[in-house]
Amino acid sequence: MFRLFSRLWSSFKEYIVLVVLVIVSFFSLSINQKPEIKNIRAIAFGSFAAVTSIVSDLINITKIKSENKQLREVNANLMLQVNRLREYGLQNEELKNLLKIKDSLNYPLIPASIVSKSFSKVQGSITLNAGIKDGVKPGMPVINDQGLIGIVYNASRDYSIARTLRNFDLKITVKDQRSRIDGIMKWNGENLVIVNVPKTYDVEPGDRIITSDLSSIVPVPLPVGIVTGLSNIKTGIFNEVKVKPFVDFVRVENVFILGIVGSKQINNLELNFYNRNEN
Amino acid sequence: MKTDYIFAVLLFFPLLVIQTTIVPLIAINGIIPDLIIILLVFYTLKLGQLHGTILGFIYGLLFDLITGGLLGSSMLSKTITGFVTGYFYNENKKDIYLKSLSFSLIVLLGSTVDSFILSFFSTTDLNISITTFFIEQGILPGIYTTVFSIIVIVFYPRRMID
Repeated sequence: MFRLFSRLWSSFKEYIVLVVLVIVSFFSLSINQKPEIKNIRAIAFGSFAAVTSIVSDLINITKIKSENKQLREVNANLMLQVNRLREYGLQNEELKNLLKIKDSLNYPLIPASIVSKSFSKVQGSITLNAGIKDGVKPGMPVINDQGLIGIVYNASRDYSIARTLRNFDLKITVKDQRSRIDGIMKWNGENLVIVNVPKTYDVEPGDRIITSDLSSIVPVPLPVGIVTGLSNIKTGIFNEVKVKPFVDFVRVENVFILGIVGSKQINNLELNFYNRNEN
Repeated sequence: MKTDYIFAVLLFFPLLVIQTTIVPLIAINGIIPDLIIILLVFYTLKLGQLHGTILGFIYGLLFDLITGGLLGSSMLSKTITGFVTGYFYNENKKDIYLKSLSFSLIVLLGSTVDSFILSFFSTTDLNISITTFFIEQGILPGIYTTVFSIIVIVFYPRRMID
């Protein structure tokens, strides 16, 4: 028996070994998912990876310089993209807020964007990309979700110019929302101020200022700003009330033009009445 | 013989480091030469068919464990490769096979067999014909490995073979 096996072995050992090893290989295929095999592989792979990582690092040193240059370029492009996306995000927020006003106000609103700004010490004005063809007329108030920005001064077919609150030539009748006191607000080159407010009048810091219904320019109540202080002039009987506007004139970009103008009929009537009385 | 065996196994590790770090840098359309096959064929022609078969099994086992491939796939392919190339073993013709271009042709055969068997364990497109499959998955990797075996033959010190 032993001799038979010995003869078989010497004649066919290569084939016997092949068959055994092939069977073992197929068996190994079937036990791939066993946890013990996974552990062994993890140890083998981990140990070998420590060596290959050293060799890889040495190889990668040669590629680092060109990769660095490429990555810097990619970085710059990504920075521009991120900036642009941030802009879109902010614009989106602003537009969403504007849409809320559109829904809440019953007046016709003409949407517009500011195409240029001109802010000198005394003559702040903005150019809007809405004009006569959009229904814009001089005298229309310009607003955003925060409050009154200014008044349209001139309009062409496609564009219009508006004087902002920070314009020396724009004076608006405003009201203290709490105490219902009216006054004339203007820009003095540094601050928005309500002038000629009697010292006895009830105006305090923190009071909300809106456009007055007495105004012939802005016939509807619109938020203007908040009282920040009173300049106590020692001589005289009037105070100067400083107002901080709600609108950030530097950052504003998207606006609405309120599609209404003060009634000429009322203006003429009042003017005739005052003139008659003077005479 | 025993020292040859031990040396054959020890030589496997640095060669595997080169195979996994440097060789991928010279891939052509995803095809890389297999330095392990060159080593296997060399020692099979030097030691015989039986030793070549066992060596193929060991190489395959270590390769699968270390590289994370399907355990058993390289074991099977390299075992069969060692067995097939063992048919060229001849005590009297060692010099002829190891020092001439015959070595490259045997490497081509071994590499083709290895790549072909191994490719059955990867995702295959069943719509392609068997001929295309054989050429893409068997012949082309074999040719690339053969090119490398020529370099080994040219630069290998002759006294090592003896």
